[in-house]
Amino acid sequence: MNKAYKKEIWYTLGFTVLLLMSGHLGLLFVAFPALQGHMIFGFPSQYIIPVIMGWLGLMVIVTIQTVLTNRLDDEIEKMDGVVDEI
Amino acid sequence: MEQKWALADPTMGIIFVAASFAFFYFVGWYSQRAAKSSTDYWTAGRSIGSLANGLGMASSYMSLATFLGVTALILKLKVPFVYMWIQFSLSIPLITLWYGTPLRRMGAFTPAHFVRERYGLRTSYIVASFMILIMLMYALGQMIGVAKVFEMLFGINYNVALICGGALIVGYVTIGGMYGTSYNAAFQMVLMGVAFIIPLGAIMKAMGGSGWYFPPLLYADMVPAMLERVPDFFDMKYGFKWYFALIPCFTIGAMGLPHLGMRIYTAKNLKSARVAMIWFTFFCGITFSATYTMGFSGVFFQATSGTPIAPTDLDKITLILNSVYNPPWVLALVIAGAIAAGLSTISANLMAIGALIAQDIISTFKPDLEENKTKIVNYSAMAGAGLISILVALNPPTFLVVSILWAFGLAGVTVAPLVILGVWWKQANRYGAMAAALIAGGTYILVSPYVAPNLTIAGGLPAKLGMSGALLCVPLSFLLMTVVSMVTNRIPALVDKLPHEADKKLVDGIHGWTVYNEQRYNSTAAGVIVSAVSLFFVIWALMPGGW
Repeated sequence: MNKAYKKEIWYTLGFTVLLLMSGHLGLLFVAFPALQGHMIFGFPSQYIIPVIMGWLGLMVIVTIQTVLTNRLDDEIEKMDGVVDEI
Repeated sequence: MEQKWALADPTMGIIFVAASFAFFYFVGWYSQRAAKSSTDYWTAGRSIGSLANGLGMASSYMSLATFLGVTALILKLKVPFVYMWIQFSLSIPLITLWYGTPLRRMGAFTPAHFVRERYGLRTSYIVASFMILIMLMYALGQMIGVAKVFEMLFGINYNVALICGGALIVGYVTIGGMYGTSYNAAFQMVLMGVAFIIPLGAIMKAMGGSGWYFPPLLYADMVPAMLERVPDFFDMKYGFKWYFALIPCFTIGAMGLPHLGMRIYTAKNLKSARVAMIWFTFFCGITFSATYTMGFSGVFFQATSGTPIAPTDLDKITLILNSVYNPPWVLALVIAGAIAAGLSTISANLMAIGALIAQDIISTFKPDLEENKTKIVNYSAMAGAGLISILVALNPPTFLVVSILWAFGLAGVTVAPLVILGVWWKQANRYGAMAAALIAGGTYILVSPYVAPNLTIAGGLPAKLGMSGALLCVPLSFLLMTVVSMVTNRIPALVDKLPHEADKKLVDGIHGWTVYNEQRYNSTAAGVIVSAVSLFFVIWALMPGGW
């Protein structure tokens, strides 16, 4: 199986995990209640961290996702038909 | 004494709304001139640039609830509501990652179009029917909401408001097709952002907030006063299952909504579609964050001003705060923004229903229609979808006006697993797809409190919003899809009936491979892992407690 195919699978799984983490950070605060109640930027941690990660954190992840998957498209075009066993 | 809130002077509001409708019609008429074929009508000629597309994607997601409705939910749920809302921003990035770009590469009109190519006609009819039902439920809530705003604004009877408002909406969407809808949606998003965030800054300033110049994040100085008056505002009051169920119900659910996927198919190319999702996360994030601030300000206002708000007015907090702290013309702008939010969602829903009827149902019966007849079908499907929405909204059946959030779960059960596995796993077949859509979809409807209240997995809010049902039925759908596909692929009599080679080549092709390779996307181990993980979650969902 060629490199581009493996990369496609790993990017899809990896970015899914990162996206889910950025949008569902609330789970972390339910699973570990000791993380709650700390004041960050004047807000309780369980409020502001998910809000910031769900917006600005998500933007960073999506920007990286865009750059890497766009590059991968070019790679798939190049590797099409190449079967380099690794 | 609580007083019911009423709009003091609607004149300015009427002027703003009339001007915005005139603009929507102009944009619809002007942009549709480029539509020469069905592809142009339903996908805007696959020509929308990344900024306009990103605005349009965000706009389709900002419903009337952003202005009216979610504030009531914030008052009820507090911080858990914020968690529920945050994850909606994942929809477009996940759709793009998992199937948006492959389906754009295939040239799909709707996700049902892919289902037809991948699993055959019968399965696509089932999926298209579920999609139409979901879109109808979605559009209905918005149509009723817009009619209520018209009723308040013009002081007319609800039915008259619905018929006149509905006809105006259906008119501009039908004329404009996807070209008009896309450019209008982009403008509507700008209008919504301005009408929501800038007046919110003025409200915060009047309340004494020092961060009024950036409302989405800068209100920490109001937090101590809030904690003093409402100590439980930031409390997390539900169990682990409640927060986890957000994933199958709303995150995977949103991945099954056809009107979101369809935005990606309008992109100029795949790179443009991906850049659009960066814009989407920016516009979605800033508006959502401002929504939490508005909810916070509503609770703060109620707690600190001593002004009680009638329970029936809790969803009008945005309007109430603007009427208290801002001049009438600002309130008029906010009302125009609220209507734009409703329209952007309805237009996306109607486009999806129209495309499903025209492209996934009618064109399969009459595949060789001439272009001029196809145009008539397109316009009729759009106008018909609108007419049905208006007629149903006049006297909606109870089962259709359940929470729109419940419909997300239905999309997560009946659409998302079929499309995701269809794109990524060659062994997925039509037997698995039909079993998943019918059995898991039927179970989701059955365990909802709207059909059999005694059969619900968890009572109360999780059942009403579809969260408990989705926690069971989304993994059930993946389980059925993988197990039935793997079993039937080993029964020669059944495999002979499948166009297996064509299906497998389609999977390679939509990922960009022109030279076929049998091994790609064909792992049995992956199927077994998905089945095992799904089975675990099905069992966990059935175990009592944890909510």
